[in-house]
Amino acid sequence: MSTGLERGQQPPVDVTEDELAALIGDRALARDDHLNAPGFVIRPDDVQDVLTDLRDEAGFDHLANLTAQEYADRYESIYHLRKYADPTQEVSVVVPTTTDEPVSQTAEPVFRTADWHEREAFDLVGIDYEGHPDPRRILLPETWQGHPLSRGYDQEKPQLVTLTEHANPVQPDHHDDESDTMFLNIGPHHPATHGVLHIETVLDGETVVDVDPDIGYLHRCEEQMCQQGTYRHQIMPYPDRWDYVSAGLLNEWAYARTAEDLADIEVPEYAQVIRTMGAELCRIAAHMLALATFALDVYGDFTAIFQYGMRDREVVQDILEDLTGQRLMFNYFRLGGVAWDLPEPREEFFEKTRDFLDGLPAKVDEYNDLLTGNEIFQIRCHDTGILEPEVAKQYGCTGPVARGSGIDYDLRRDDPYGYYDNLEWDVVTEDGCDNYSRVLVRMQEVEESAKIIEQCVDLLEDWPEDERTVQSNVPRTLKPDADTEIYRSVEAAKGELGIYMRSDGTDKPGRFKIRSPCFHNLSALPEMSEGEYVPDLIASLGSLDIVLGEVDR
Amino acid sequence: MSGATVAGGIDAMQALPAVPLQDTVLLPERIGELTGLDGFGLGGELLATFLAAFIVGNLMLAMTGVAGPWAKRKITAAFTDRIAVNRLGPAGLFIIIADSVRLLSKELVIPENADRPAYDLAPIVVASSALLGFAVIPMGSGIHLADPEVGLAYVFAVSGIASLGLVMAGYASANKYSMLGGLRAVAQNIAYEIPLVITGMSVVIFAGTLQMGEIVSAQAEPLVTIAGVSIPSWYALVNPFAFVLFLVANFAEVGRNPFDTPEAPTEIVAGYQTEYSSVYFVLIYLGEFLHIFLGGAIIATIFLGGPAGPGPAALGIVWFIIKIWGVFFATQWLRSAVPRVRIDQLIEIGWKGLLVLSFANLILTAVIVGVVT
Repeated sequence: MSTGLERGQQPPVDVTEDELAALIGDRALARDDHLNAPGFVIRPDDVQDVLTDLRDEAGFDHLANLTAQEYADRYESIYHLRKYADPTQEVSVVVPTTTDEPVSQTAEPVFRTADWHEREAFDLVGIDYEGHPDPRRILLPETWQGHPLSRGYDQEKPQLVTLTEHANPVQPDHHDDESDTMFLNIGPHHPATHGVLHIETVLDGETVVDVDPDIGYLHRCEEQMCQQGTYRHQIMPYPDRWDYVSAGLLNEWAYARTAEDLADIEVPEYAQVIRTMGAELCRIAAHMLALATFALDVYGDFTAIFQYGMRDREVVQDILEDLTGQRLMFNYFRLGGVAWDLPEPREEFFEKTRDFLDGLPAKVDEYNDLLTGNEIFQIRCHDTGILEPEVAKQYGCTGPVARGSGIDYDLRRDDPYGYYDNLEWDVVTEDGCDNYSRVLVRMQEVEESAKIIEQCVDLLEDWPEDERTVQSNVPRTLKPDADTEIYRSVEAAKGELGIYMRSDGTDKPGRFKIRSPCFHNLSALPEMSEGEYVPDLIASLGSLDIVLGEVDR
Repeated sequence: MSGATVAGGIDAMQALPAVPLQDTVLLPERIGELTGLDGFGLGGELLATFLAAFIVGNLMLAMTGVAGPWAKRKITAAFTDRIAVNRLGPAGLFIIIADSVRLLSKELVIPENADRPAYDLAPIVVASSALLGFAVIPMGSGIHLADPEVGLAYVFAVSGIASLGLVMAGYASANKYSMLGGLRAVAQNIAYEIPLVITGMSVVIFAGTLQMGEIVSAQAEPLVTIAGVSIPSWYALVNPFAFVLFLVANFAEVGRNPFDTPEAPTEIVAGYQTEYSSVYFVLIYLGEFLHIFLGGAIIATIFLGGPAGPGPAALGIVWFIIKIWGVFFATQWLRSAVPRVRIDQLIEIGWKGLLVLSFANLILTAVIVGVVT
C-alpha cells in the first residue's frame, strides 16, 4: 500500500479523496459516492481491515452511523465515518452482502459503537455480523418473528408468541449459588430511568459489577413512518417526537438540513436566523430540563433546584409557543424555511425574549449557588461516571457528554449550518470527564445559547421589512434523483443528530435512518458505571441526559 | 411515676424556686385526681395512665396528621415556587381528611413471597417505637406522662427499636430494593446512633442527671442577663457545638435529607417501604413523621429548654410544639435544598467524622465542667 501516509504518526486532519482511494487500494470493489462523502464498496470480509486503516492512518476516528438496508438484489451496510477533529471530512464504507446469505464481518473490534448498531441492523433489517460478541436483538423483543425493515417482511403478520416461548425480560434471575452478587432489574419502571429504560444490573453489595441497558420499550417505528411520508410536508412532524423534551426545533433542523441538501433547496437568510434563534431557545429548554432532572437524580426529591429549572424553562416554552404556536410538537420548520414569520406585534416578542435573556445571568448564578457550588453535590459528582475521551470516541459519544470529556466537537462550529457561522459564541468544553463536568458544560452552554439568541434578536429587529422571506420557493412535490444518498447531521441538544436518506425516485425516501446521539451516549453507560456504586450509576445515567424516545426511535 | 421520681423532681424544683417550669405532678396523677380515679387503687391508677397516654398519643398523631398530608406539601411548595394544596378548605387544610380517606381505602397489596408475621409487624414496630418515646418527654402545661430517672436513656433505647422495624420491613418484603433499603437503614442507624448518644451524654454531664424533667429544669437557670433580659442556659447556647452535632446525627438517625439513603427514591425506589401499600404504608409513613417529631422533642428537651418560653408556664405546650415544628421545618428545608450523600460517604461521615467529633465534644465538656465546678 503506497498511501503517502506514514505509519505511526498522528493521522492527518486533511485527507484527499485520492489519498483515500490509494489507502483502500484494491480492497475497494467500486465507488458508491454519497452526496456528503466519497463511498467505497468493499467485500464483507474486509470490514475490520479497511476500517482499521481508515481510523489509524487517515484519522477517521468517529463511526457516526451505521445504516443497513435491503435492495432487491443485496443487503447493504453503510459505515458513515468522520473525524472528531473535522467532521466535514467524511467517508462512507459500503458493504454489500448477498440476499441468500447476508453475512458481514463485524466492525465491533474497531469501533465499540458498532456493537449496538450492528445489533440494530440485525434486528430491523436482518444482516448477520460475523464475530459480533453479542448478536441479540436490541429494539424488538427476543421472540419477534422476522425483520421489519427487510423487503420480504409481512407487516400484516400477527406477532403472537405463545406464553411459554415468550421470554420475559425481567424474569431471569442471573443468580448462581456460588457468587455473592445480586441481579437487579432497574426499570423498566423506576423513578430514575428517565422513561422506559430497563437496566440489567449485577451488584456486589452496593457496587455495580455489570450493567446491560435493555432498550426498545419506546420503539415506535419512527424510521419506517418517515419512509412512508412524502418529503415535502409529511415527515417534518415526526422529528419533534424523537427527542420530545423541548428539543423539537433542533430535531426538525436535522431533517430540514438533510432534505434540503438532498433536494438542493435554498433557505433564505432571514429564515436561517429565525431557525437559529428557535433552535437555541430549544437548547436552553432542553438543557434546563437536563439540569433539573440531574439534580432530581442526585438530590433524590423534587427539590428547589428541580422546580427552579422547570420555572425558568417555562419562560422559554412560552416564547417558543408564541413563535410556533405549539409547546411540545412544534412542527415549525419547512423545507426551504420556516412556517411563518415572527408573531405580531414583533416588539412584544422581542421584549419578552430580551426580558428572559436579561434575567438569565441572575438565574445561572442561582443555579451555581444551589447546585454546582454545593459541597455535597460536588462530592457526589466529582470523579464519578468517568468517561475518558478515547472511550467516548469509541462509543461515538457527542454533544455535552463528549464535551464534558474534553472532546472539542460541536457541529454548529465544525460543520456549520444555519447562521451560526456569522455569530459570536464559543464551544464549551470541560476536561473533568466526570458527572460534574457534564453538568458544567450544560450550564455554560445555556449561557452561550443566550448569547446566540441575543445576536439573532438584534439581527431580526433590524431586518428590512421587504426582505423578510420566511420560505423559498419549493416545488409542491419533491422527487430527488433515484439512488441519491446523503448523511447529514446537526448539533441537537444531546449531540450529533444525523439522518441518512436514500431517494428511490419517488416522493418518499427509500431508506430513512436516524442517527440518535442518545443511542450512542447510552451505550457508554456500562463503561462509566461499572465498579462504582448504585447511586453513581443513577447519577451517570442522569448526566447522559437520554431521552428514550430518541434512543428507541 | 414512682414516689421517688416525683420526689426527685420536687427536689430539683426546690433547688430552683424562681422558675416553676417543671410540673411536679405528672399527667396520669392529675387525671386521677380530676376524675376521682385515684380512689380505685391500682386499677384506677392504670386507667388514669391509659387516659393520659391516650391524650399524649393523640396529640402526637394529630400533629403527624397535619404534618404529613398538609404541612409538608405547603412547606416544600414554598421552597420550590409552587402553591400546593389549596382547593379543599381554608389553605387546603381539608386535604388531610381527603388524604386519610384515600390512603385508608386503598387496596392492601401484599407480595406473594412476603415473610408474613415480620412483614405485618414491621409497620407497627416503626410507628409504635416512636410513640413510646413521647412517654418521658416533658411537654409543659402539665403534659408529662412519666419521669423515670433514666429518661434520656429510655428515649434513645425505644427510638432505636425502629431500626428493627426497618430491617423487618426490608427483609420480609421479598424485594431486592427493600432489602437494599433495609441494609442501608441498619448500617446508617448503627453509624449514627453512637454519635447521637455520645453527644446526648455531654448534656447529661451538664445536667448531672438522665431524668428529663431535671434536664429541663437545669436549663431554666439564667446564662447571662443583658439589659434586664435574662437569657436561659439552654444547652444549645451553652454548647452550640454539641447542638449542631446532635442535630446532624439526628437527621441521619431519622433518615432525613441529606441522609435519606435508606429510602432514596431515584436509587432504590423507596427502600424498605417499597412493597407497603394502604394502611401499612400509612403506618410506616406515620412512623417516619413520629420519628421526626420525637427527634424534635428530644432536641427541644435537652437543648432548647423543653417547654420554656416567654409568658406564663401554662403556655409551655405551645412553646414546646413550636420548637419541635422548628425541627420539622428544618428537615423540610434540607429536603428542598440539599443533595443526598452517597451511602459510602454517609457511613464515612458517621464513623470518621461525627463519631470522632462527638467523643471530642464529650471529653471537652467533661473537662470544662470538671474545672468549672
